[in-house]
Amino acid sequence: MAKFNWQIAGAAGEGIKVSGLMMQKTALRAGWYTYGSTEYPSLIRGGHNTFSVVAGDQPVNSGQVKIDILVDLKTSQIILDQPLKLPLAELANQSGNFLTKNTVALGASCALIGLDLAIFKQVIAEAFAGKDQSITVQNHQAAQLGFDYAAKNFADKKLKLIAPGRALKNQIMICGNEALALGAVAGGMKFYCAYPMTPVTPILHYLAANAKKLNIIVNHAEDEIGVANMAIGAGFGGVRSMVATSGGGFSLMVEALGLAGITETPLVIILGMRPGPASGMPTWSGQGDLLFAINAAQDEFPRIVLAPGDPTEAFTLAKAAQNLAEKYQLPVIILADKNLGEGYYTADQPPAGHTNQRYCLAKTGASPEPFKRYQVTASGISPRPLPGRPGGIFLANSYEHDELGYATEDSRERVKQMDKRLKKLTTILASDDLIAPRIFGPAKAKTTLVSWGSNKGAILDALPSLPNTNLIHFAWLWPFPLAQFKALIAHQPRLITVEGNATGQLSKLIAQQTGTMIKDKILKYDGRQFYPEEIIEGLKKI
Amino acid sequence: MTARVTKLSPTWCPGCGNFAILGAIKAALDQLGLEPHQAAFVYDVGCSGNMADFVFAYGFHALHGRGLPPAAGIKLANHNLKVFVIIGDGGGYGEGVSHLLSLARGNHDVTVLVHDNFLYSLTTGQKSPTTPKGQVTPSTPAGVIDEPFNPLATALTNSAAFVARGFAGDIPHLTKLLVAGVKHRGFSLIDILQPCPTYNKSRPYAWYREHIEYLDKIAHDPADLEAALKLSLRTDRLPIGIFYRVPRTPWHENFTLLKTGILADSAIDKIDLTSVLDEFK
Repeated sequence: MAKFNWQIAGAAGEGIKVSGLMMQKTALRAGWYTYGSTEYPSLIRGGHNTFSVVAGDQPVNSGQVKIDILVDLKTSQIILDQPLKLPLAELANQSGNFLTKNTVALGASCALIGLDLAIFKQVIAEAFAGKDQSITVQNHQAAQLGFDYAAKNFADKKLKLIAPGRALKNQIMICGNEALALGAVAGGMKFYCAYPMTPVTPILHYLAANAKKLNIIVNHAEDEIGVANMAIGAGFGGVRSMVATSGGGFSLMVEALGLAGITETPLVIILGMRPGPASGMPTWSGQGDLLFAINAAQDEFPRIVLAPGDPTEAFTLAKAAQNLAEKYQLPVIILADKNLGEGYYTADQPPAGHTNQRYCLAKTGASPEPFKRYQVTASGISPRPLPGRPGGIFLANSYEHDELGYATEDSRERVKQMDKRLKKLTTILASDDLIAPRIFGPAKAKTTLVSWGSNKGAILDALPSLPNTNLIHFAWLWPFPLAQFKALIAHQPRLITVEGNATGQLSKLIAQQTGTMIKDKILKYDGRQFYPEEIIEGLKKI
Repeated sequence: MTARVTKLSPTWCPGCGNFAILGAIKAALDQLGLEPHQAAFVYDVGCSGNMADFVFAYGFHALHGRGLPPAAGIKLANHNLKVFVIIGDGGGYGEGVSHLLSLARGNHDVTVLVHDNFLYSLTTGQKSPTTPKGQVTPSTPAGVIDEPFNPLATALTNSAAFVARGFAGDIPHLTKLLVAGVKHRGFSLIDILQPCPTYNKSRPYAWYREHIEYLDKIAHDPADLEAALKLSLRTDRLPIGIFYRVPRTPWHENFTLLKTGILADSAIDKIDLTSVLDEFK
């Protein structure tokens, strides 16, 4: 498989991410499958920022430790097997605009990788389309100067790659955050409410910028408590709503999570994980919130916890979450992380057209009596009137309540309502909505890696180097798909969990739900996502 | 006659100001001609919030201090509803004061009734943000150290478009304020002086009657922000009436999407993403 890993590094404010994205798009359009990821500290100027693009003629799903070609803006060098001096400032000045030095470096990179400069120039034209035409002209000139300089001076250093030689059809470049945002819209989300927090701020930016086109309302509210409670109000009012935050903001939303649980109000929460506790490492990745998401808020109530592994799953699950929340009248938590959210993948373009139906909305008449909103039913789901309709008057109550919603401290009523709510878990597990854990690689293997969420990419990329090894990937974690998981592991002799936390939270969950103790674990909690090389090395150590 | 209350009997103490406030709400709903399904009430947690079981209208009994954000969400979902918030001085001015500022500044079209009894009564009488300095309560046996919170001045300086104060001991006057608050297009705050005969013995009805002053009996222009602010800072007397009222675009009217109908009714059966997919190619 032809593959290369290109990286650009510089200070914050130098346009590292923009340059990286342009490089990635150029590679994508040249027929390469790509995965782009950015590393940056929590500051606006200075520091050390990077953007890496791994490209392959076969699908790539993760980053790579080994860098083949590094553009270092600080020292004006391109580093392959040895550093090559590139007169960035001089060539940028020749283009007529000193600010084009990144473009010079990218032009030179195209020459060294063998990417068609015309494709890069087209990407430049699109990137600067809204600006004065002279910007595009200068950047085109800069790209050409960089390309020509490298072609002339570093001809013998050119990477020996066989270009894919075909264009990718129906493939797009998308990050997990954008996929989550679009999936939610596809699922009928009409209200998005958030308070900025890395790594999910891009969802807020994307949806706010496109709100009019997408026919949705976006609100940046006063704090995460206001965010969650306003979304619950909108959900009570009949609007499919979503919020997104990271662990700190989610901690503030926890009381509202229980509110959605007891009032049986649909709510979708994206929890974009990053290392914690408290402020932790804001701009880095982690998977430390799995058990928190499953157990957050006092006492017990049903919820669904999902964990997409790539943008395609992110889109599908964000759409599904909107429907699940309404159908089962409960909170749905989507566990994402910085790796998925801010990682740019090559993915199949999602379909443009989507259909949805409304669930469990009560047909109300003109009855002058209160409506039995919390009627005990076999499924645990009760018809829900929407405020404003005659005949549907009810009280949604944060207190324990009777079938009409009125507060009660009666022991029998309490048990009835608890049982009714928890019944939904059984209903969900028996439904077609459940997404079972899935095997990648051989159906039966000597070694089975068990993982969840965004680790999928690194493990998939490691599998070709791991003989007789397969992956069980959980995209749905709660309610735990017990029967499906037991069936999957029945013929797998050796299980090893792979997780981005320090204590093996999925292992604990599996032990709790199945009684199966998985002894072997590959864990990582240094703030970085898994690389395929680390999965391979980790297995050797066990 | 339109049913305004449920079959459940209120659980407030004899003489509680909440009975009178509920009376004013019923009268205001009648005067406004609202059917029960045309109103949504969000209740905070507290003695005031226990009204949730007694009012016959769509209701949402929220978390303590968090009555306002769901109200903004409900108004967004269906802006044809008249949305009320029933909240106390503890939830409204203490635990949830950030939401008060946010809804006031955003001009969310909800009518907020703060049952201000100057104490936390449901938790048996501890100090609240509005308790006078020095007052002895179970959580401040040596007297309250903090200066009291000034809700009206806070609302006025944070762009609240309708600011009023009422008194639970004058139902017709309070009813007028409620009607005016609901008719006002935008955020309205009505701080209601509410006697708590069980825990706040220092402020019985008679004390309030001695200290209130009707704004409509002095020449106050509710369009005059500076005059309103000056009145809100008075501590010798407690003026009641409309302090300030100014026309301002309600929050939901900033969205063209809501001009054609309510958000809860917007079609989701067919969603087309064509217009946004191209940029990912």
